[in-house]
Amino acid sequence: MAATRYTSMAYASADEMSFGVSKHPVKAGLGLEIGAGYTIPEINYAPRPEAGASKEKLIKEYERITTDVMSRMVQVGFPAIILETEHVQQMSNNPSWGAEVAHAQKTIMEEYHDEYGIKCALRHTIGDIRENREFPQLRGDKYAVFLEAFEQCAKSGADLLSVESMGGKEVFDHAVLRNDIPGMLYSIGCLGSMDMEMIWSDIAAIAKKTGTVAAGDTDCAQANTAMFIGGGLLDKNLAHTLAIIARAISAPRSLVAYECGAVGPGKDCGYENIIVKAITGMPMTQEGKTSTCAHSDVMGNLIMQCCDCWSNESVEYHGEFGGTTVQCWSENLAYDCALMNTALETKNEKVLRDLFMLSDRYRDPQSYVLAYDNAYKVGQAIVKDGNDIYLRAKNAAIECCDIVSEGAAGKLALSRFETKALADAKASLDSLTDDMDKFMDDCLTKYKSEVKVFLPENYGL
Amino acid sequence: MLDFTEASLKKILTRYNVALEKEMTPEEAAEELYPKDEFVYPIAKAIFEGEEDDVIEGLQAAMDAGQNPITLIDDALMVGMGVVTKLYDDGVIFLPNVMMSADAMLNGIEFCKENSETAPVTKGTVVCHVAEGDVHDIGKNIVTALLRANGYDVVDLGRDVPVDEVVASVIANKPLMVTGTALMTTTMYAFKEVNDKLVEKGLKVPFACGGGAVNQDFVSQYALGVYGEEAADAPKIADAIIAGTNNIAALRDKFHKH
Repeated sequence: MAATRYTSMAYASADEMSFGVSKHPVKAGLGLEIGAGYTIPEINYAPRPEAGASKEKLIKEYERITTDVMSRMVQVGFPAIILETEHVQQMSNNPSWGAEVAHAQKTIMEEYHDEYGIKCALRHTIGDIRENREFPQLRGDKYAVFLEAFEQCAKSGADLLSVESMGGKEVFDHAVLRNDIPGMLYSIGCLGSMDMEMIWSDIAAIAKKTGTVAAGDTDCAQANTAMFIGGGLLDKNLAHTLAIIARAISAPRSLVAYECGAVGPGKDCGYENIIVKAITGMPMTQEGKTSTCAHSDVMGNLIMQCCDCWSNESVEYHGEFGGTTVQCWSENLAYDCALMNTALETKNEKVLRDLFMLSDRYRDPQSYVLAYDNAYKVGQAIVKDGNDIYLRAKNAAIECCDIVSEGAAGKLALSRFETKALADAKASLDSLTDDMDKFMDDCLTKYKSEVKVFLPENYGL
Repeated sequence: MLDFTEASLKKILTRYNVALEKEMTPEEAAEELYPKDEFVYPIAKAIFEGEEDDVIEGLQAAMDAGQNPITLIDDALMVGMGVVTKLYDDGVIFLPNVMMSADAMLNGIEFCKENSETAPVTKGTVVCHVAEGDVHDIGKNIVTALLRANGYDVVDLGRDVPVDEVVASVIANKPLMVTGTALMTTTMYAFKEVNDKLVEKGLKVPFACGGGAVNQDFVSQYALGVYGEEAADAPKIADAIIAGTNNIAALRDKFHKH
């Protein structure tokens, strides 16, 4: 299907948004309704390194993981859980492997659902395997295998289909290490969005055919790369004011999934999902303080503010004092959800939302822009030119700069370095054309020359 | 919407990067470090600023004045890059500045080579790769840039590199160190296979590993493994090796932080 662009916001105001409630709840799996008035823990895990040695070992590993999670949820009395299996490359390169894992997991989940009534769903996140050793290969043979992996998993037990797609990453990796704002705009906003339109039209068709849910994508490959390179307050690898510009640009890119038939819940590591929720009204998974097992961030509480599912990003499966890692982390997630659900049931959700938000609001320019009131403003800037993928990405970047500047005039403290990086970025954005065709032509010439692994044919250019 | 007073905000969080910011601007700090030689100064400054055309212009001027192109690599390009890496290590400038400077320096080295019949001498060779099955190479790209910026010759095997290809490259290039990066827990298992094959062939070369899900505990499990938490550790480990610390236990003692 062609993309149906968003040109208006789902919510009349930022204050309408809350955790656990979305405009368009999604029914999935075994009795779940997502974004329908309660939050749901979503546990994510990675097999131990040696488990990838064979299909049999992998399946056994995921059976252990699934049983551990389901049993812990029942033992502590939690009513709902989502399991997310992010494919290791073997499972997507060999679609039957992923399918057999999905089947094995779902069989266990059905047993628990039948015996205890626990509501649950299984998300499978297919690996973006569309690369060969030398170049991305977004179209062609690899793409066929990629889609086959979705279809086989959907037919074998996966309820929610997701991916962290990589379109534009080869240009982004070059640009982000050179403070190149036009390059970030081109890679995420243009190339990323174009690739998203292709893949999500096809994934949504598979979901429709198999009766599963096209759940959504995340700009992990780019915006999270910027966030991770940015690191903590004392790291010197990327100004956080640039990392949040990459994040703002990623929102219109991740939005494309929903314009092509995805319905949520958006995937956990999309910190841009708060902006996407404001635009679409669809449920979103988020991760923050509970993903410290995988990475650090500077908005661990804030990002819970409007989540519908609450995730831990990923944890390697192994033993801890309190059980296996998936048991420990799923219990953590479920207790957080119990608190949010208590707030919802007692009509205190806006108070708790604001406490989450405020505790991190001024911690960093990234958290400041993703505070729900500011995220809503970025959303408005996107839908203002919703039909032009370049212009809406540029709008998001400019709005992001303006929000940070306004914050810096108040209680958001910036270092001189962050301030200069922001000013340079804003000047770079202000110098750009509003004409998408001209921008695309200029960038095509520039990055074909500068990035040897950038093949325009990957994007139909 | 809830909000803080300035006083209450200070009880909740501290922006340490703002509180501890250096007084001097990066440009002022660099100016203090540039050599004063009339030919070297503009080249070093152009390296710091990442201006490739200005680097070439400066080199051309020095060559026109009779300076040896290969000598200029060490005496001008590496000196300029030394300013950049020192300011990065001191926390005055950020990684993108280093990357842009490294681009300009490498461009300058190529220009010098084109204008000379002799080859430059480097500090040593390092073989770099991304683990088999893993295509995430931004970490490796940072490592290779930082190694080159510090005067090392890099054999970049790229991403998703088969174990046997890494071993063959070690045999062919006799590096002082091998680096491996990986994002995922399942692909990093290839490091152990690389290690085992190197050990089997009697190649006791330090194998510096890092990236995404890689951690010190995992890297410590194989004989040649040295964990690098940051990309910037790679040239430091290489420097330690050429300074005489080539025993794995000693390297671990120096670089394992946890």
